[in-house]
Amino acid sequence: MNYLILLPQMILVAIAMLIPAIDLYGKDKARILPYLASGALGISLLFLAIFTGIIPLEIFDITIPTSLFGGMLVIDRFALFLQLLFGTVTLFVVMASSTYIKKNERNQGEYYSLLLIATVGMMVVAMANDLITLFIGLEIASISSYALAGFRKNDKKSAEAAMKYFIIGALSSSIVLYGISLFYGLTGTTDLAQFGTALSNLNSGQDGLLAMATIFLIAGFSFKVAAAPFHMWAPDVYQGAPTTITTFLAAGSKKMGFAALFKVFLFGLISFKADWAIAFGVMAALTMTIGNLAALKQQDLKRMLAYSSIAQAGYIMMALAVATQYALGGALFHILTHAFMKTGAFIIVAMLSVMLIGSRVEDLRGLRIKSPITAFCMAIMMLSLAGIPPLAGFASKFVLFSSAIDAGGWLIWLAVIAVINSAISLYYYARVLKEMYVLPTGKNKPIRMKEPLAMLIPIVLATAAVIIIGLYPAPFVDAAMDAARALIP
Amino acid sequence: MAIADLPLLTITLLIPVIGTLFVFFMKNEDNAKKLALIFSLIPLGMSILIWSLFEIGGGYQFMESHTWIESIGISYTVAIDGLSLPMLFLTTLLIPLSIVFAWDTKKRQKEFFGLLLMIEVGLIGVFVSLDFFLFYIFWELVLIPMYFFIGIWGGPRKHYAAIKFFIFTHVGSVIMLLAIFALYFESADMLGYATFNMMDIATVSPNFSVAFQGAAFLALLFGFAVKMPAVPVHTWLPDAHVEAPTAGSVILAGVMLKMGGYGLFRVGITMLPDGALEYYWVMAALGVVGMIYGALICLAQVDLKKMIAYSSISHMGFVLLGASTLNLIGVAGGIYQMFSHGIVTAVLFMMCGVIHHKTGTRDIPKLQGLITKMPQASFILIVGFLASLGLPGLNGFVSELMVFVGAYEAYSILIVVPLITLAIGAAYYIWTMQRILMGDFNKKLGNVTDLEKYELIPLAILVVFIVFLGFYPNPLLDVIYPAAEAVLGGVVI
Repeated sequence: MNYLILLPQMILVAIAMLIPAIDLYGKDKARILPYLASGALGISLLFLAIFTGIIPLEIFDITIPTSLFGGMLVIDRFALFLQLLFGTVTLFVVMASSTYIKKNERNQGEYYSLLLIATVGMMVVAMANDLITLFIGLEIASISSYALAGFRKNDKKSAEAAMKYFIIGALSSSIVLYGISLFYGLTGTTDLAQFGTALSNLNSGQDGLLAMATIFLIAGFSFKVAAAPFHMWAPDVYQGAPTTITTFLAAGSKKMGFAALFKVFLFGLISFKADWAIAFGVMAALTMTIGNLAALKQQDLKRMLAYSSIAQAGYIMMALAVATQYALGGALFHILTHAFMKTGAFIIVAMLSVMLIGSRVEDLRGLRIKSPITAFCMAIMMLSLAGIPPLAGFASKFVLFSSAIDAGGWLIWLAVIAVINSAISLYYYARVLKEMYVLPTGKNKPIRMKEPLAMLIPIVLATAAVIIIGLYPAPFVDAAMDAARALIP
Repeated sequence: MAIADLPLLTITLLIPVIGTLFVFFMKNEDNAKKLALIFSLIPLGMSILIWSLFEIGGGYQFMESHTWIESIGISYTVAIDGLSLPMLFLTTLLIPLSIVFAWDTKKRQKEFFGLLLMIEVGLIGVFVSLDFFLFYIFWELVLIPMYFFIGIWGGPRKHYAAIKFFIFTHVGSVIMLLAIFALYFESADMLGYATFNMMDIATVSPNFSVAFQGAAFLALLFGFAVKMPAVPVHTWLPDAHVEAPTAGSVILAGVMLKMGGYGLFRVGITMLPDGALEYYWVMAALGVVGMIYGALICLAQVDLKKMIAYSSISHMGFVLLGASTLNLIGVAGGIYQMFSHGIVTAVLFMMCGVIHHKTGTRDIPKLQGLITKMPQASFILIVGFLASLGLPGLNGFVSELMVFVGAYEAYSILIVVPLITLAIGAAYYIWTMQRILMGDFNKKLGNVTDLEKYELIPLAILVVFIVFLGFYPNPLLDVIYPAAEAVLGGVVI
C-alpha cells in the first residue's frame, strides 16, 4: 500500500484548511486566496499527471491500479482520468473567480475553501469502490456546493437557488442512501466488486426488493445528473447561482453524478445489464429531447446553457443504455469535451456580466466588435456543443453515438433520436451565432471593450482545448478508452 | 523528385485554408478580394496540373494516407479518381469566378471573401477524402460558412433561409452519419479490423446481406437526397437560393448540390450495390418526381431567381434518374450532368445577379426588352437558357441525352414520363426569354447599362466551357467513363 497516491487530495485538503485561516489574519487576502487555491490545484494536477504518465517522471513508486483501505478506494485509470478532469475544471473556475468575485465581497475564504473541498469530494467518488465511500464523496461535494450556490446570500436569486438545490439534493441523497441500505440488506456487503456474485445468489422471492433498490439508486443519481424526469431543479439553480459556481456545477459536479452511475451500474451491477439498460435508454431519450426542446425558447443565456447541459446529460446517459466498454469510453470522452465546452461557455457568460454586457441572448449583439476574441470563443463553443466537425464535441459524439449503432437492436433507434436531437439543438446554438455575427448592430455603434485577463485566460485555454481535441483526438480517445477498460474489462 | 510525387491534393486543400486565415486577419479591408483571388487561383492551377498528370482509367491516384486516430481506425486518406476529378475542377473553377463576379461587394469584405475560401476548403475536402471521418468533417464544414454567407449578405428573408438551410442539411448529414457507423461496424467483422477507410470498406461491403445493404442505402440516400435536393426534402433550396447573394447561389447550386450526387455514386452505389439494386426504384421515383415537379413550378414563377432555383431541382433529378438506371451510360450521364449543370447554373445565377443589380428587380413581368439595353448580357443569358434546356451543341444536351439513353435501356417505354420534362423545360425557358428580353424596353427600369468587366470575364469563361463541351465532350467523358465502370463494379443485374 502506498498512500502517496492520495497526495493530490491531501494537498487540496491542506490548502482548503489553510485558506480560512489566511482569510481571517492575512492582508490583501482577496489577491492571495485565488493564487493559493490555484496553486494547490496546479500542484495536485501535476501529481496526477505524473501518476498517469502524462509527465514521464518516475519519482513515485506507484502501481496502477492501487487499492487502498481494504478495497474502499481504488485508484485506477478511470479514477485518474476523472480526477484530472475535475481538477482542471476547478482550476479554470478558480481563475475566473478571481475577477468574478469582487474584492470587497464577504466570505471569500469560505468560497475558495469550499471549492477545493468539493473537488476532493468529487475525486473521492471517482476512486470509490464501495457504496459507503461513494456516498461520502457524493455528500462532501454536494454539501459544499449547496453553500457555494448561495454564496451571494443577499442576492435573492442566489439564495433561492441554494435553497432549491439543497432541498432537492438532500432528498436525492436520502433516496440514494435508502437504495444503498436495501442493497446492503440483500447482499450483506457494500463492496461494489462483490455485488455480482452476491446478487446472483439471491432467491427469487427477493427480486422485487432488488428492483426497488435499483430504482432508488437510479432515481437518486438521476437527480444528481439532472436527467429527466428529475431535472426540474437544474435550470433554476444554474440561473440563480453565481456564474462561476454554475460552471462548476455543470462541468464538474454533474460529471461526478455520472462517475457514481458508471461505478454502480457499469461496474457493480453490470451482470444485471438486461434489467436496467432499457430504463436508462428511455431516460436518455427523454432527457435529451426535453433539454433540447426547452432550450429552444430560452432568452437567458445561462438558462439556455442549463437546458443544453441537460440535453448533453442525455447523450452521456446513452452509455448506460448501451453498457459496453466502447460506449463507456465514448461517454468519458464526451464528459471530457463537454467539461471544456461548458466551462468555456459559462465563464464567457460570467465575463459578460463582469463587463456589464448582460446575460440575455440578445445582449450578445455586437459582441464581435466589442470583444472579437470572446465572440470567436463563444462561436467555437456553440458549434462544438452542436457537434459540428472538426471540433471536440463532434469527435466525442461521434464515438458515443456510434457505440449505440455498434450494439444494434433497439439501440439504433436511440442513436436516431440522439442525432435528430443533435440537429434540433443546432437551432438554439445557431441563434447565438446569429446574434453575434449575422445581425446588424443597430444605431449604437458598439465599441471595443477590455476583457478581464483572469477570465480571458481560462476561456482561451478551453477554446484551444476544444479545437485541439477536435483536430487531434487520438490521445484523448485513448485515455478515455483506457479509463473505460478499468471498469469494463 | 517528380511533380507527381508531391502531395498535390494536400497542397490544393491547404492553400485555401491558409488563404482563409490570411484574408480574415489582414489589415486592409479593400485588398481582401485581391488576396482571395490569388489564393483561389492557385488551387485552380493545381487542379489543372492534377488533370494533366491524371492517368485515365487509372483508378485512385495521387493517394496520400496518414494515420490519424489509430484506436478507432481513422486516417487522413486523400486520392482522386475519374469521379472526383471533374468535381474538383468544377469547385476550383467556380470559386475564383465567383470572387471576380463579386468584385464590388462593399459590406464586410474580409469576411465575405474569407468565407468563400473556407467553403472551397470544405468542397475540395469532400471530393478528395477517402476516409469517412474526414469526408464527414468536410461535408459539415461547408455548412458553417454558407450559413453565415446567406445570413449576413442575403436578401430580405435571409435569417429564415439561413437557419432552414443549416438545419435541413444537418439533419440529412447526421442520418448519413448513422449509415456510415453501420458500415463501419459491419465491415469490421469481415475485415478483422475496424476502419473508416472507404476503399477498405468497399472491398467487403458488397458482400453484406441484402437487408443490411438496403437499410444502409436508404439512410445514405436520405442524406444525399436532402443535399441534391430531391422532392420532398427540397424546400430549403428555393429559400436558400433566393436569399443568398449571387456568389453564394453560384457555389450552392454549382457545387454544393453535387456533393449529394457525388456521395450517391461514391458511397451509395459503389459500396452497396445490392442495396442500390433493391431500391433503384426509389432513386428513379425521386428523380422523375423532382424533374417534373421542379419544371412545373418553374412555369409558375415570377421571380427569375426562384425559377432558376427550381430548375436546379429539375436538373438534379436527371442525376438521380441516371444513377437509378445502374447501367454504364446512365451513370456516366448522371456524373456528366453534375458537371454540366454546375457550369450552366453558375451562368444562370450570375446573369440573374447581373439583372437584379442593373435593373433593381428580378420580377419577370417587370423586365422587358432587355436585349436593347444589354446585348452582351442577353446573349449570354440566351446561351445559358439554351444549354439548360438541352439544345444540341451545348453541354447540357450531352448529359441529358446520355441519361435518357441509359433510362431507355433500363425502363424502355416508361421514359416518356421523364421526357415530358424536356418539353416543359423548353416552355419555361423560351417563355421567360421572350418576356424579359423581347418587346419594348420597360422605361420604369431607368438607366440600364450592359455588363461590367468583372461580370463579363467569369461569364465569358463559363460560356466557352458550355460551347466547347457541347461540341467536344470527350476530355470529360474519357475521365468519367472508367469511373462509372468502377461505380458499377459490384452491380450485377
